[in-house]
Amino acid sequence: MSLLKAEGLSKRFGGLVAVDKVSFSIRPGEILGLIGPNGSGKSTTMSLVMGIVRPDSGKVLLDDVDITGWAPHRIAKQGLSIVFQHSRPLHRQTVLENIMLALLPDSLVRLIADPQVEAKARDIAARVGLAEVANQLPDTLPFADLRRLELAKAIARDPKVLLIDEPFAGLTAPEMHAFSDLIATFRSEGRAVMLVDHNVKGVRALVDRVLAMYVGQKIAEGDPDEVMSNAKVRSVYLGGSLDEPVIKTTAMAVAESAKPLLSVQAISVHYGKAQALDKVGFEVHEGEFVSIVGLNGAGKTTLFNAISGFVPYGGDIAWDGRSQHGRTPGAIARGGIVQCPESRELFGDMTVAENLGLGGQRLPKAELERELAWLFELFPVLGERRKQTARTLSGGEQQMLAIGRALMMKPRLLILDEPTLGLAPVVLDHISQALEVLRKETKITLVLGEQNVTFALKHSDRIYLLEHGQIVWQGDAPGFIREAGERYL
Amino acid sequence: MSKFLRSYRFWITVVAIAFMAILPIKASGYILGVLTMAYYFGVFAMSWDLLFGYAGEVNFGPTFLIGLGAYGAGMLNSYTPLPMWLCVIAGAAIAVVGGVALALPALRLRGPYFGLMTLVAVLLLLQFIVIFAGSTGGEIGLAVPDVLSISTDANYYYALVFMLISGGILFAVSRSPLGLILQATGQDPIAAQAMGFNITKHKLFAFCLSAFFSGLAGALMIFYLGTASVNTVVDLAVAIQIIIAAVLGGRRTIIGGALGAIFLIVAGELLRPIGELSNFVVATVALLVLLFVPDGFLGAVLKRRAGL
Amino acid sequence: MTLVMQILVDGFVISSLYALGAIGFTIIFGVSGVLNLAHGGILVVAAMVAWYMGANLGLGVYPACLVGILAGIVMAYLTYYLVVSPIERSRRIPAEEKEIFILTATLLWGIMIQEMLAYIFSSNPISVPRLVPGITNVFGVHTPTNELAIGVVSWLVILGLWFFVNKTRFGKAILAASINPRGVSLLGFELSSIHRLVWGLYGLLAGLAGVLLATFIGASPTNVGDLTASAFIIVILGGLGSVPGSLLAAYIIGFIETLTAYLSDPSYRTLPALFMLIIVIYLRPQGLFGRR
Repeated sequence: MSLLKAEGLSKRFGGLVAVDKVSFSIRPGEILGLIGPNGSGKSTTMSLVMGIVRPDSGKVLLDDVDITGWAPHRIAKQGLSIVFQHSRPLHRQTVLENIMLALLPDSLVRLIADPQVEAKARDIAARVGLAEVANQLPDTLPFADLRRLELAKAIARDPKVLLIDEPFAGLTAPEMHAFSDLIATFRSEGRAVMLVDHNVKGVRALVDRVLAMYVGQKIAEGDPDEVMSNAKVRSVYLGGSLDEPVIKTTAMAVAESAKPLLSVQAISVHYGKAQALDKVGFEVHEGEFVSIVGLNGAGKTTLFNAISGFVPYGGDIAWDGRSQHGRTPGAIARGGIVQCPESRELFGDMTVAENLGLGGQRLPKAELERELAWLFELFPVLGERRKQTARTLSGGEQQMLAIGRALMMKPRLLILDEPTLGLAPVVLDHISQALEVLRKETKITLVLGEQNVTFALKHSDRIYLLEHGQIVWQGDAPGFIREAGERYL
Repeated sequence: MSKFLRSYRFWITVVAIAFMAILPIKASGYILGVLTMAYYFGVFAMSWDLLFGYAGEVNFGPTFLIGLGAYGAGMLNSYTPLPMWLCVIAGAAIAVVGGVALALPALRLRGPYFGLMTLVAVLLLLQFIVIFAGSTGGEIGLAVPDVLSISTDANYYYALVFMLISGGILFAVSRSPLGLILQATGQDPIAAQAMGFNITKHKLFAFCLSAFFSGLAGALMIFYLGTASVNTVVDLAVAIQIIIAAVLGGRRTIIGGALGAIFLIVAGELLRPIGELSNFVVATVALLVLLFVPDGFLGAVLKRRAGL
Repeated sequence: MTLVMQILVDGFVISSLYALGAIGFTIIFGVSGVLNLAHGGILVVAAMVAWYMGANLGLGVYPACLVGILAGIVMAYLTYYLVVSPIERSRRIPAEEKEIFILTATLLWGIMIQEMLAYIFSSNPISVPRLVPGITNVFGVHTPTNELAIGVVSWLVILGLWFFVNKTRFGKAILAASINPRGVSLLGFELSSIHRLVWGLYGLLAGLAGVLLATFIGASPTNVGDLTASAFIIVILGGLGSVPGSLLAAYIIGFIETLTAYLSDPSYRTLPALFMLIIVIYLRPQGLFGRR
C-alpha cells in the first residue's frame, strides 16, 4: 500500500524534457530521498506532484485518489504539504499568527478565527521548538528558526504526505541534527515524506530509500548504500570511477615563495539570514590550474560571484596584491578576472559572431581577427555556426560559445563554473581537450568549479573541496583520491 | 505590550472621531465641504489599499470602479423613477459586476499586466462616457435630479459616517483570517496555494469588496455634488490621486489611505491661494514622501512602535 | 481615392512621430526595466522650450529646436537621477514593490513637470513654426511639406538608431544589456554607464519627438498625460522592451486612429486602439513581439 504514487510523470518545457517518465511510490511512515544535481528535474518532479506545474503525461495518486492536474490548493486539501526551500513568512505577523494562517480553512465567510486555532498553533510551535519565540516577528528570528516555521506551517495542515525541498540547506551541523530528529518523527506518525536534495550524503542518515535522477530520468532507486555504489550515480557525480588512474601528474612546479595572483582571504557571504560561505580562503598562482570541487549547493557559484563582484562579502579578495573591495563587476572583468558562469549568460538573440565580438570589443581590429581565428581552431563548430543566433545552439555549443566569449576578453584568470553541467560525454571530451590546450599553450590561469570530480582531477594542479560553504580539504589529485574521494558522495 | 498599544491606538481613534464629529459646531461650511470630499476620497483610497496592500494586486484603475458606481447611480437616477437610495445600491452593484467582469480574466495575468488591464479599463470607460455624451453628459457632466441633502452639516455627517463604517469594515476584514490569507496570497501565491488556499477566490473577493466600497462611495459622492463628471470620478488624474493617497498614508494599513486622502485634499485646498502651483507643490511633497518615507505616514509610525 | 491617399499620408506622419516617441520609451524599459510615466512631460518640455526660444528669444527655428531637444535630454537625466535612481538604490523599498514605486513616482514627476510648465508658460497650446515651408502634392493630396519632412526625419533617426545599435560598440552593448544585463557586466561593461547612455539617448529621441510634434499639431502642458498614454499603449501592444514591436505597433495605432478619425468621428479616434489593446493583452499578454 502506498500513500503517494507517481506513474510515468513527464514534463517538457519547449524542447527540453525536464522530467521523463518518472515513477515512484512512498508508503506510510517511509522517507524517500529524491536526489540529483542541478537541472536533473527533481524540483520539477516536486512541482508536478504538488500541482504547481501540470504534467504532460503520467499520473499522481494520493491515497488512491487520482490528483493529476488538480490545482495546488485542492491537492493541499487532499493531504499533501510542501516545505519550500526559501521561507517567506508574513513579516507583520508573529510566528504564532503565521502558524495560525496555515490552520485557517479556505473560506471567505470565516471572519473570526476558531478559538481552538490558537491553542493548536501553540502546540505546533512547541513541537518544532518555536514555543519561546512564538510572539516574535519573523524578522527577528535566526535562519534555522525560519526553517522551523516553514515546517510548522506544513505540519499544521496535518498532511498525509510531506514534500521537503533541501531540508538542510544553510543549516549548521547541530541544527541539521535537530531538524533530522524532527523529520524522523513523521515516520512514527505514519506520514510519507519525500526529501529533495542534491546528493545522498545530506539525507543518508534519514531516508529509507533513495531515488536518483539525472537529466529528467530516474537512474537508480534503492537503499542509500545501494544507490551510492551504483555505477551510473557515481559517474554522474564523480564523472567516472575514481579508481581508474586518469590522473595526469603534470603538476607544474610553482614556486612556493611566489606571490599569489589571486588570494581569497576568509570571505563569508550571507543571503538574508542563510550563510552561503563561511570564511573561505584559497590562493591561485600565475599559470596554475586550480579546481574547486563540491556538490551543487556547496557554495561554488556564490564563491565565484563574490570574486566577480556580484555579491557583497566579508573578508578580502586580493588580485595581484590589490584588494578588490568596492570594484564593480565590470571593473573586475576588465582587470583580468573573467568568469564563464554556470548559467552561461549568453545574448540569446544575437549571433555567435556578435556574442564573441562583444567579448573582444576592447581589442584592436587586427588582434580581434587573430583571436577569432585562434578560437575557431579551438572550437571549430563555433566557426561553422558564426551566423546562427546563440539561442538556437545546442547545450554543448552554447557552453563552447560561453567559454569562447570569455576567452575573447583575453583574461589573465579564467573562472569556469560547472562547464560540464548537463553535457553529453562527447562534448565533455571536447571541452576537456580545449582546457588542456589552454593549460599548455596559453598563460591563462584557470579556476574550475566542478561537481564532476573526474573531470576536475584530470586537469588540476591543485584541488579544494568545498562543503556547506567551507573549504574542508585541499591538496593535489592523487591526494584527493586517497583522502577525500570516499567522503565526497 | 500589545494590549497597551491596542488601547493606545484605540484612544487616539476615539479622540480623532470625536474631533471630526464636533467639527461642524465650529468649522465653516467651506472647511466642512472640503472635508466631505476628503472623506469620500478616503474610502476610495482604503478600498484601493485592500487590493494592493493585502492581495498584492496593483489596480491602476480605481476610477473604473468608482466611475461605474457614480455613473451607474447617476444615470439610473436621471432616467428611471427609482428612489435615490436604490440608485446608490444599484451603482455599487454595477461597480461589483463591472469589477468582476474585469477581474475574472485579468487575474490570470502575471506580472504588470493586471495593472495594465485596469489602466486600459479606465481609458475605455472615459471614451464611452465622452462618446455617449447624449446620455452621460460627456465632458460637461451629468446633473442628477436628487441630492443627499442641501445642508452642509448633514452632508458632512453622511460622509463621515460612511467613511467610518467603510473604514471599520475594511479594517476588520484586513485583520480577519481573510486578511491573513490575502496577505499570504499577495506575498507568495504559490506558497499560499500549497497551504490549501484557493487564491483566485480570495483575490476575487477582495476585488469585489474593493469594487463595492469604491462604487458606493462614487455613487454617494455624486449625490452630494449633484453632478457626475469625468473630472471628479473617472479621470486618470483622480486615479493617481487615490494611489498617492494610499501610498502616502501607508500601504497595508487601510486607515492610512483615509489619512493620506484627507492630507492630499486639505493640502490642495490650503494651497489654493498660490493658484496654479498648488498641484505642483502637492505632487512634490508626495514624491518626497515616496522617496524618503516609503512606508508612508502610518507605516513609519507603526514601524517605529514595533521597534524595527 | 484622395481620401485613401490622405489617410495614408496622415497615418504615415502620425505613426512616424509615435514610433519616435515610443522607441525611447521601450529601450528604457528593455535595459533598465523602467516604465517612465513622465514620458509625455519630457516631450512637452522639449516642445515648449523650442517654442519659447523661437517666439520669445528670437532664435531661428533650427537653433530653437536644437535647444528644445537639449532640454529633452536634460529632463531625461533629471528623471533618472532625481526619481528613478534613488528608488532603485533604496534599501527601504522592498524589491518586489520597486515597480509600483517607480510608476507612481514618475507619474508624480510628470504632474510636477506639467504644472511647472503651465505655471511658467501657461496652459495655452503652442506651436513651433514649420521646419520646412510650402505644400507638396502627394498623389493629389495637398500636404504641408513639413509633415513629409517629419516623416523623413523620424525615419532617418530610426535608421540611425538601428545603425548605432547594430554596428557600434556601445550600441551593441546596449542591445546586449537589454537581452542580458548580467552578461554585459561579465564582459567588463559598466551597467551604470550603459544606463547613462540609454537615458541620454531616450532624452534625445523624446526631445526630437516633442519638437517635431510642436511643428506639426502643437503642444500644451495638458497633453502630458495623453502623450504618455499613447506611448504606453504602443509599447504594450508591441511587447514591452521590443524595438521592432514598438515600431510596428506605432504604425498600427497611428493608422487605426487616422482611419477612425476620417471614416467616423474624430472623437472616436482612440477607441479601436484601446479595444485592440484589450484583446492583445488577454490573448497575448506579452504583446506582439514580446519575449516572455
